[in-house]
Amino acid sequence: MTSILNLQNIITIIVAIVAAPIIGGFLSGVDRIISARMQNRYGPPILQPFYDFFKLLGKERITVNQTQMVYVLGHLFFSIVCIVMLVLKQDLLMIIFVLAFSSVSLIMGAMSVRSPYSKIGAQRELIQMMAYEPVLLLMVVGIYMTNKSFMISSIFENDRPLLFTLPLVFLTFIYVLTIKLRKSPFDFSTSHHGHQELIKGLTTEFSGPQLAIIELTHWYDLVLLLSLISLFFAKPIWVGIIIALVCYFLEMLIDNISARITWKLMLKLTWVIGIGAAMTNIIWLYLK
Amino acid sequence: MGIIEKSRKKSPWIIHYDCTSCNGCDIETLACLTPMYDVERFGIVNVGNPKHADVLVVTGSVNKKNVRVLKNIYDQMPDPKAVVAVGACACTGGVFKECYNIIGGVENVLPVDVYVPGCCPRPEAIMDGIVMALEKMNEKAKVKKK
Amino acid sequence: MELKLLAVAILLPAVSAILCYIFRKAPVRNIIVVVTALIMFAVAGEFVKLLFDNGGKITIELRDFAAMSTELVIKILDFLLFIYFIFIGVRLKKPLIVGLTFLQLIPLLIFEILIRPKEVEQAFIIDYLSLIMILLVSIIGPIITIFAIGYMKEHEHHLHLKKSKQPRFFVILFVFLGSMNALVMTNNLMWLYFFWEVTTLCSFLLISHDGNKESVKNATRALLLNMLGGVGFILGIIIIYKVKETLALDQIARVESLADFGTIFPIGIGLLCFAGFTKSAQFPFQSWLLGAMVAPTPVSALLHSSTMVKAGVYLIVRLAPAYYGTTLGKVIAIVGGFTFLAGSAIAISQSNGKRVLAYSTIANLGLIVCCAGLGNPVALGAAILLIIFHAVSKGLLFLCVGTIEQGIGSRDIEDMQGLMKRMPFTAVITVIGMISMLLPPFGVLISKWLAIEASVERSPVVLILTILGSAFTVVFWAKWIGIILTMSYKTKIQGEKLSLSIRTALSILFIAVLACSVSVAPIFNKLILPHIINLQIVGDQYIEGINGGLWINGGVVGGFGIVYLFAVVFIVMLLVPIFMNKAKPETMKTPYLCGENTSDTRGIEFISPGDKIDHVIVRNYYLSGVFGESNLTLWTNLIAGAIILIMFGVVI
Repeated sequence: MTSILNLQNIITIIVAIVAAPIIGGFLSGVDRIISARMQNRYGPPILQPFYDFFKLLGKERITVNQTQMVYVLGHLFFSIVCIVMLVLKQDLLMIIFVLAFSSVSLIMGAMSVRSPYSKIGAQRELIQMMAYEPVLLLMVVGIYMTNKSFMISSIFENDRPLLFTLPLVFLTFIYVLTIKLRKSPFDFSTSHHGHQELIKGLTTEFSGPQLAIIELTHWYDLVLLLSLISLFFAKPIWVGIIIALVCYFLEMLIDNISARITWKLMLKLTWVIGIGAAMTNIIWLYLK
Repeated sequence: MGIIEKSRKKSPWIIHYDCTSCNGCDIETLACLTPMYDVERFGIVNVGNPKHADVLVVTGSVNKKNVRVLKNIYDQMPDPKAVVAVGACACTGGVFKECYNIIGGVENVLPVDVYVPGCCPRPEAIMDGIVMALEKMNEKAKVKKK
Repeated sequence: MELKLLAVAILLPAVSAILCYIFRKAPVRNIIVVVTALIMFAVAGEFVKLLFDNGGKITIELRDFAAMSTELVIKILDFLLFIYFIFIGVRLKKPLIVGLTFLQLIPLLIFEILIRPKEVEQAFIIDYLSLIMILLVSIIGPIITIFAIGYMKEHEHHLHLKKSKQPRFFVILFVFLGSMNALVMTNNLMWLYFFWEVTTLCSFLLISHDGNKESVKNATRALLLNMLGGVGFILGIIIIYKVKETLALDQIARVESLADFGTIFPIGIGLLCFAGFTKSAQFPFQSWLLGAMVAPTPVSALLHSSTMVKAGVYLIVRLAPAYYGTTLGKVIAIVGGFTFLAGSAIAISQSNGKRVLAYSTIANLGLIVCCAGLGNPVALGAAILLIIFHAVSKGLLFLCVGTIEQGIGSRDIEDMQGLMKRMPFTAVITVIGMISMLLPPFGVLISKWLAIEASVERSPVVLILTILGSAFTVVFWAKWIGIILTMSYKTKIQGEKLSLSIRTALSILFIAVLACSVSVAPIFNKLILPHIINLQIVGDQYIEGINGGLWINGGVVGGFGIVYLFAVVFIVMLLVPIFMNKAKPETMKTPYLCGENTSDTRGIEFISPGDKIDHVIVRNYYLSGVFGESNLTLWTNLIAGAIILIMFGVVI
């Protein structure tokens, strides 16, 4: 454990921290183009997310109270910590907890202002967390059941891809990914585009650089979640990456073809189908 | 041109406020978002939240009742920002100019950057107006820096 | 030396209690309280030193006269206690109390007169687990009594009492602390039982302290449920003595006892655990702890953090090696896991701050019981860690809520909006206390994480219970923190008037929370790991603290090593915005209210249709349709009752 901070690891960490948002930004650019094409539109340039990001950075820094920036930075930093833990192949369960911390930080930021929109958005985000958190944890448990270890490094030591032992867990993970990425039909804490009942929900009161940082964090999260998908096919890793990209495409498709559902229905669906399917998978691993 | 100035021109997010428009201009404004015109090509997104917006697109003439709301929305937008008055009513007050409750065009209340005349203006004209506003926005940012 | 220290630890609170009773003047009492607290701190420190010098186990044998007299005194006190219980039953006209007393008294008499148990030679054994409990009792306990000085003055001021009841209050508090200290040190099961009943009595007296109808009713319920546990306890003792022919706890609670599982021995263990369930308010016995909220805050802080409920889990954790790996252990884990889930779920629907805390306590105790039931080294480590962290954080939180309640006159979460403005000192401490209950790198989350990692191998049922429970905990804490943190731009922060005793107590506990979390690895290595090794439990996994983090099997199975990284991130998170603001201040804008804002900069007022000025009111979601107390309590109680019946079914 003492050798965890050697030169090679430090380089990996730096590369990951720099590369993750670039990849994430490109992916969301692709998302926007593909969504546009699905809607029979031409769509923005692929660099659009970066333009948005830099424009937001250059805006005036406005705020509703002095503390908002603290939460936004917390949101960002803990996502980065997750990425760092991922490339260092650390404990997967702890990564999920730290990821939760990152989300909670944003929720705190949204709740800290006296704005009805962002407060209700925050409450809804909490409900979303309540829905996806158990499934993410169950995914980790499933991985433990196959590898007998929580460390990501153990996944790379295992020759047999996780997908073969954890098909149902994989499916539920893709399912909660929609919730985690706040895509339709589960986009009720913040909507993608304009004029809806919650304005922008969670992010209503964040603007300028704060919003830029939230966007940046979103890219980190996207990369993190997609790499979690690719872990299911860690050997050879390129297959995993292709699977992750295919899943991402699926997410876009679902986003574009579905309407929003209510939180009650979401909780029911996620708990009954999501947890049910994941538990089924895990129980058969127990009996094996 | 720095990366921020360049990005500013590539990513105008608009908020659309309907003062007392007859909805003709609104329909044309929203037509810009449709696949036919697809303003997202230029990175234009209709955000509906002044705190995220760069460009305030106003349709219709200002009356005594909604002037407060218009001002509030403008105040809540972060700098640099621009105002585009879309349609005859927004530019001058139009046919409603002489009404007892009408203050007049948007210019009487806010510093308007671009006037898009017409009743109603075509979507192409509206898009052109917004793109013109971007140039002005960058100029404003420069002036403010100095 | 050891004996003297022991005597001080147990008898000093008793002496202070008597002093409090004699000297009824407030200033004298304050001095007594502070001096007692300081001596108890010193005693706890001495115990740490002594234990490390003696290699992890202090055995104190009472010989001849000392043994005889102590035994006699305890027996006499025991009978006096029961007579007092009967007296309470008669006075309150509750035949059930009298009945339960006789149910305990008759077996006790039969046991003492007919069976005549052999005396335990090693009357007191202090090992690492006892030491941890002693530290909790003698550090958090006195801090709460110090807090009580300021609090009770204010409390009685509100009640407009003619004659102060404070002497009585402090007497009971001290007796409580003394008996807790004794409870965790004694090695004699009979004596443990006596101190157990003393804590039951003390909690009854403290809960009913205000003397109004509701508090007496709730105190009676607490008494009834705990006496039910007491009946289980005495029956358990008799059964265990039948099999093992000894009352020595160290002989019973060890791995070798597993050999006796063919006999009636597991029934005895099950009965003792049942007693533990009632004491630590596991479902379906949770109602007494919720009712205990009517008592003054120091009482609830004491009951919830270091004493009373911790006595229950202490017994269950202590007995863990004796049922490790058996079906009994698995069912105990399910009892705990279910309590964790149900407690966390109901907490979501609560808007009363104290009730949220109470449900959270119940849930965390459930998790401790669950870990003890799993019983492998990782789980036991998690259980003991959680005992420590929960005691410190929850002690702090209760004191905070008590202070807030006196400050704003409400314990409703919704009324705590803008607390940052009115009570900045308390608000900051409360928030950090809450964060320590749910987020990394604080200890409670680490134990939760360990609990999940431990339950994976052993039981899928427990696994799903802990996972769902841990998702629920995030929700109710986050909602509450969000409310407290709500603030407008540059609000004029008002100075907060707090009495010195309250301020000191809060600060000390606050520092304790931070210190415990930062030093999780040393605490684990020095105190918990040796205890688990001493138990000689067989398990293929072990935890170790390396480089400030905890690692399972040296990092092969899992681990967490970034406690310091978190500290750095926290500091950067706070400093960057401060410096950015120094360089170029942010512009203030009111929240978005569809452009209908008034000139009010707080952003609360808006102009509603009809040009009226209205206020924005946003309440949290409580999801009471799903998680409502009235919906869930009956069903959870039924299920929990069924699980406990299954537990006994398994052992019979």
